[in-house]
Amino acid sequence: MDFFDRFAIPHPSPVIYASMVAIALTLVAIVAGVTYTKKWGYLWREWLTTVDHKRIGMMYLISALLMLFRGGADAIMMRAQTALPENTLLDSQHYNEIFTTHGVVMIIFMAMAFIMALMNFVVPLQIGARDVAFPRLNALSFWLYFWGAMLFNISFVIGGSPDAGWTSYFPLAGNEFSQSVGTNYYMIAIQIAGLGTLITGINFIVTILKMRAPGMKLMKMPMFTWSALITNLIIVFAFPVLTVALAMGTIDRLFGGNFFTTTDGGMDMLWANLFWVWGHPEVYILILPAFGIYSEIIPTFARRNLYGYKSMVASIVLISVLSFVVWVHHFFTMGQGAMVNSIFSITTMAIAIPTGIKIFNWLFTLWKGKITITVPMLYSLGFIPIFTIGGVTGVMLGMSAADYQYHNTMFLVAHFHLVIIPGVVFAMLAGLTYWWPKMFGFMLNERIGKLSFWLISIGTCVAFFPMFISGLDGQARRMYTYSEATGFGIWNMISFVGAIMLAAGFVTIVYNIYYSTRYASRDISSDPWDARSLEWATHTPVPDYNFAITPQVNSSEAFWDSKKNGHKLFPGNYKEIHMPNNSGVPFIMSAIFFVLGFALVFSIWILAVIALLGIFACLAHRSFEQDHGYHIPVEEVKETEEKLGGARQ
Amino acid sequence: MKVDQTKPLEYSTEQNNLNILGFWMFLGAEIMLFATLFASYFTLEGRTGSGPSGSEIFEITPVIFETFILLTSSFTIGLGVHAMRLMNKKATIAFFSITLLLGLAFVGFEVVEFFTYIEEGAALQTSAFTSILLSTLGTHGAHVTFGLFWGLFILIQIKKRGITPETANKSFIFSLYWHFLDVVWIFIFSFVYLKGMM
Amino acid sequence: MKELFPRKQVMGFVFSLVLTIVALLVYFLDMSFAVGMTVLLLTAFTQAGLQLIVFMHAGESEDRGSIYLNIYYGVIIALLTVFGTLLAMIWGYV
Repeated sequence: MDFFDRFAIPHPSPVIYASMVAIALTLVAIVAGVTYTKKWGYLWREWLTTVDHKRIGMMYLISALLMLFRGGADAIMMRAQTALPENTLLDSQHYNEIFTTHGVVMIIFMAMAFIMALMNFVVPLQIGARDVAFPRLNALSFWLYFWGAMLFNISFVIGGSPDAGWTSYFPLAGNEFSQSVGTNYYMIAIQIAGLGTLITGINFIVTILKMRAPGMKLMKMPMFTWSALITNLIIVFAFPVLTVALAMGTIDRLFGGNFFTTTDGGMDMLWANLFWVWGHPEVYILILPAFGIYSEIIPTFARRNLYGYKSMVASIVLISVLSFVVWVHHFFTMGQGAMVNSIFSITTMAIAIPTGIKIFNWLFTLWKGKITITVPMLYSLGFIPIFTIGGVTGVMLGMSAADYQYHNTMFLVAHFHLVIIPGVVFAMLAGLTYWWPKMFGFMLNERIGKLSFWLISIGTCVAFFPMFISGLDGQARRMYTYSEATGFGIWNMISFVGAIMLAAGFVTIVYNIYYSTRYASRDISSDPWDARSLEWATHTPVPDYNFAITPQVNSSEAFWDSKKNGHKLFPGNYKEIHMPNNSGVPFIMSAIFFVLGFALVFSIWILAVIALLGIFACLAHRSFEQDHGYHIPVEEVKETEEKLGGARQ
Repeated sequence: MKVDQTKPLEYSTEQNNLNILGFWMFLGAEIMLFATLFASYFTLEGRTGSGPSGSEIFEITPVIFETFILLTSSFTIGLGVHAMRLMNKKATIAFFSITLLLGLAFVGFEVVEFFTYIEEGAALQTSAFTSILLSTLGTHGAHVTFGLFWGLFILIQIKKRGITPETANKSFIFSLYWHFLDVVWIFIFSFVYLKGMM
Repeated sequence: MKELFPRKQVMGFVFSLVLTIVALLVYFLDMSFAVGMTVLLLTAFTQAGLQLIVFMHAGESEDRGSIYLNIYYGVIIALLTVFGTLLAMIWGYV
């Protein structure tokens, strides 16, 4: 039985046992449900083996929403625990676990997946392409992310959750202070998901550079595509740093390496350094797509074209470089001298300039616009003031001398939540509502949507503004409790109320999806928002091949021109369309990665070797495989187009 | 599949062009991977703890051999791609085989080197310096080893299927990979070994 | 047989051998650390450029602009990372 002892939870509690039962029941229910409705074949053919960017986008979306609730549950527990002084809802160990998993799940498995969802669905459509450059790799990216997320999420029922913070600083994350396998999960699950992200990065850069519709010069690309291009560029150059850091951490933990230890020359600060060399660009990986989404939504609902297109492009290009030279501001207080801190202080403040340019461009786009207040527009308008508050407090933190006061306090927590929530979550919800009709063929209910917006935006302010005060008063982050005499109680209670409002907001979003699925009209046009870019030029639902005829573009708003100025978007006749074949290998290979990860977490070497051989076999299979895809004949294209409501002009 | 006759085979289809550009992007990521290893190496170089330092364990002779072997293999694979463009299947196979044999010799030297280090008390666990040294060399060595299998698969495909737009594309991309590993080695040779022995 | 050994690649190979031998002088001759590092930096980056242009054919395809931009961007970010890390972890670490 010794072998099985390793899978036991080191700090069990009734909640965890209840989760185990819940997980087991859910799995049984899913398997039984799919078997009962005889959907295994459908699931395999249409989803698990798909290489279609639209379906992959939808799968990312579902995963992101699930992870949002997983991370949100952690958040509510945290705020509930700290709502009262000397609270005993959670013990310190459990609290450490949930703030660690909250951070990792929200950043790596929720925000990243949400971005991937929208990029996957929208970018190929916006540039008039049939699919991405490497559809097979795109499926591999998704499944690596998915299985990485699964590996991370089983940690709390098998072997124990990571508990060293989402930054997992050494020596705390080393073997000496983190003895459970939790941190192994952290190192390996993120590694697997990160591999998928890197592949996406390469895939989308090539897609955007090489597969744009004829006439779409770089400076005529829609702004969301521009932001996707730069985001993926940052991914390609930032993620390898994480790969190396995680590999070094893994070697330390599993093979007794001495990178980040406190003995034999090891240097714990090197982990912090490498983590943030990746971590700061990662912030911009999250925020740039959001900027892109707002740049699509604001012109659409202000009925004006985007103000300052060139300065928008220039500012994101500048951000792509600056984002790599500010990382030290995450650890100003951890040992550098005044000279280093000054350099990184200046670069940090410099990055506020391109961001400020973007804010002003959006404001100028709104200026004299005929604004319609829809749900996506509400999120965009709410984003500007809240994000600016978050951003300005970031500049405060960026001043290294002042940072000694703010560092590691709730002030910092307030700052980054007020940047990430309006910057990423609002944008994703705005994008979700905006592109929903294109994805699913009906619109989300506007009234419920507006209720969600108000709950979420007010909830955000109520939850995080008090932290500025308690932080300046000296409340450190990650404290599981505090005494009544500190006076933090009232601020934490207000935060808890805000957190409940946020949770209520997210529940209304789910209700909205349910309600609209049942009751919303299916009789909508393919362009329900009267929008400006190419994704609205094709049918809803989007046919497999996206565009029957490749669109011709001669401005940054070709679709708008075709509606208002008589531009002919789809010249010529139907031709045979070449499509990629589906494949089960990405799914299988990623599942083997999951097995490899599991084996490494628990140091089961035989299984690890078998899994490695399995991965090798998948790669070899791919090398020898000859797959030329298939062709959709002209008749079938014609038939599909007629069924979807006639040819497009 | 549209084949453009005016271009070399490896560029002749749309997908081939995508593959080559995609691989260049991947090499961008590889630059960062090795840059991170180098950044860590330079940081930890002097932190030898109770273990040996670089100048105590490095030996010039095997390093010179490894360097010239890898440089030559980079030359022969370049000739292989050239022969492929001349549609000379036999010469292509010959040059690719020589490249892979040289690669194998390189890996052989490296394995011996690793065992020597361990014998001299410089194992992965000895100190921060030995951890990063063996990880940096090991990452490069693992790339070469992976390349041996990849190259072998392509060689078999050229032999079986001839020089087609597909095999030409694969071979060309493989040559990019191999040259890149040579570049990485030059940096290891200069800034790990020579700097350490200077 | 001669057509299998194009002049450009043979010359490139010879040049890369010469660069390696020059780099090796750092070991065999007695020179200061600063001079040695200068020699190594020069030979290593020249060698990398040589491989890139002569052997990797970076400039021959229609995407040469993207390829060069990608490599330059990568090298710049890589150097910033290496020197930034050294700055934060060693030179400026109190």
